[in-house]
Amino acid sequence: MMNIDPVKALDDKVERLKKDLKSLGDRVDNAQTDAAQQQLSTTNQIRDTTRKIAKTNDRVTELAESVHRLERLLVALNRKVRASETQKADFDTWPEIEKSLLARILAGQEAYARKTCTPQEAKDTRKAIAEYDRAALAAIDAAEALTTLPPNAEALWRKKYRQWRAIKGMARPEAPDENGHAGDTAAKSAGNEAIGRARELIRARIEDAVARDLLFPAWFENMLGPAAPPGKADDWLYTATDVVLYRLLHDVTSPASALGRAPQEQGHRRDLHDRLIVECAEYRKA
Amino acid sequence: MAAEPFARLADRQHALRTALRALQAAGPGSPDFTALLAETDKEVEAVLRARRDVEAARLTVPNRAIAAATAVAALVVVIGWFDGWSLLSVLLAVAVAAAVLVDPVGRRIWEPRARTAAIAAALLAVLLTPLANGWAALAVPAGVAWWAWRTLR
Repeated sequence: MMNIDPVKALDDKVERLKKDLKSLGDRVDNAQTDAAQQQLSTTNQIRDTTRKIAKTNDRVTELAESVHRLERLLVALNRKVRASETQKADFDTWPEIEKSLLARILAGQEAYARKTCTPQEAKDTRKAIAEYDRAALAAIDAAEALTTLPPNAEALWRKKYRQWRAIKGMARPEAPDENGHAGDTAAKSAGNEAIGRARELIRARIEDAVARDLLFPAWFENMLGPAAPPGKADDWLYTATDVVLYRLLHDVTSPASALGRAPQEQGHRRDLHDRLIVECAEYRKA
Repeated sequence: MAAEPFARLADRQHALRTALRALQAAGPGSPDFTALLAETDKEVEAVLRARRDVEAARLTVPNRAIAAATAVAALVVVIGWFDGWSLLSVLLAVAVAAAVLVDPVGRRIWEPRARTAAIAAALLAVLLTPLANGWAALAVPAGVAWWAWRTLR
C-alpha cells in the first residue's frame, strides 16, 4: 500500500523503525542474560576444576612422600638382604697405609697452612734476637761480676743484680730459619706424593669393592649413596677416596657418621670437610 | 763462726761461676739456654742470699747497738726535754727501735743495711728532738720509707 500523504508515510516509517528498535533492544537484553548465565557457569566450572587440581596436588604430595618412604625402606631392605649373603667391603682398616705416610701428608698440609714470613718480619725478628743476645751477654757479665764483688759493696750488688734480672722477663724470639722455606717446600712435595700414594691404594680398594659388588660399610653408603650416580663414576670415586682419606687422616672411627664431628677451627681439615659434605649431598641427590 | 757466712758466700760465688761457664758455653741460641738460665738464676739468688747472710752477720750487733742507743736517748730526751709535741718523734723512734731490737737484720736480701738506715734515722730523730721538737719526727718516716724502698722493691 502506497501512502500519498508524506507525513503519514513518514509516521509509518518511524513506527516501523520503533518496532525494529524495540525488537533489537529485546534481543540485546536476551543476549546479555545469556552471557551472564554462561559466565556464571564457566566460573563455577573453573572453581570446580581448581578445587579438583588442589586435591590432586595434595594427593600427589602424599604419594611422593610415601614413595620416598618406600625408597628408603627399599634401600634399607636391599642392604639387609645383601648383608645376609654378600661379603662386606672393609674401608676401615688400612694396614698398607702406614702411619708415616699419614704423618707425611699431615706435615705437608701443615706446611701449606704455615704462613711464610716476609723479609721485613724476618729482619725484625733477627733484630729482636740480636737484642736479646746482647741483653743475655750483659746479664752474664753482670752475674760474672757478682761472683767477685766484696760483700759490703751494696750499691754495686744492687746494680749488677738488676742487670741480671733484666734478662728474666725477656724471651728469645724464634729464629726465622733461612732453610724454613726449603723445608716447607720439601714437606709439601713429600705430602703431595704421600697423598697420591694413599689415594691410589684407597681407590684401588674401592674399585675392587665395586667390581666384586661387595657391601659398603654403613657410613660409606650413608655418605655416598648405594652406588655411583650414572655418568659420574669417576667424580664419585674421587670423592669416596677423599672421604676414606679424611677418616684415616683425622682418625674418624664412627661406624655411622662418615666424617665424624665437624671441625671447629678454620684450616685444611675444615675446608675438606665442607667440600666433602657438599659433594656427597650432590651424589646422594643424583 | 764469723767466718762461716763468708765461706758460704765464696762457695756460692764459686757455684755461680760454674753455672755461668755452662751458660756461656751454651750461648743464647742453644735450645737448653732457657733451662740453664733458670738454673743460673737460682745460683744468683743463692749468692745474694749468702751475701745477705754475710751482711746480717756483720750488721746484727751494730743495728742492735744503735737501737739500744736510740731507746736510751729517747728516755733521756723524754726526761730532760719533756714536751708534749716532742713526744711524737720520741714514740715513733722508740717503736722503730723496738722493731730493730727484736729483729735487727730482717729477712729479705737488701734488708740488713736498710734496717741500719732506718734505725740510724730514728736515732737522728731522737737527737734532733731537743732542737726541733715534733718536727724531728719527720726523720723517722723518712728512714722507714728508705727501708721500704730498699727492701720491698
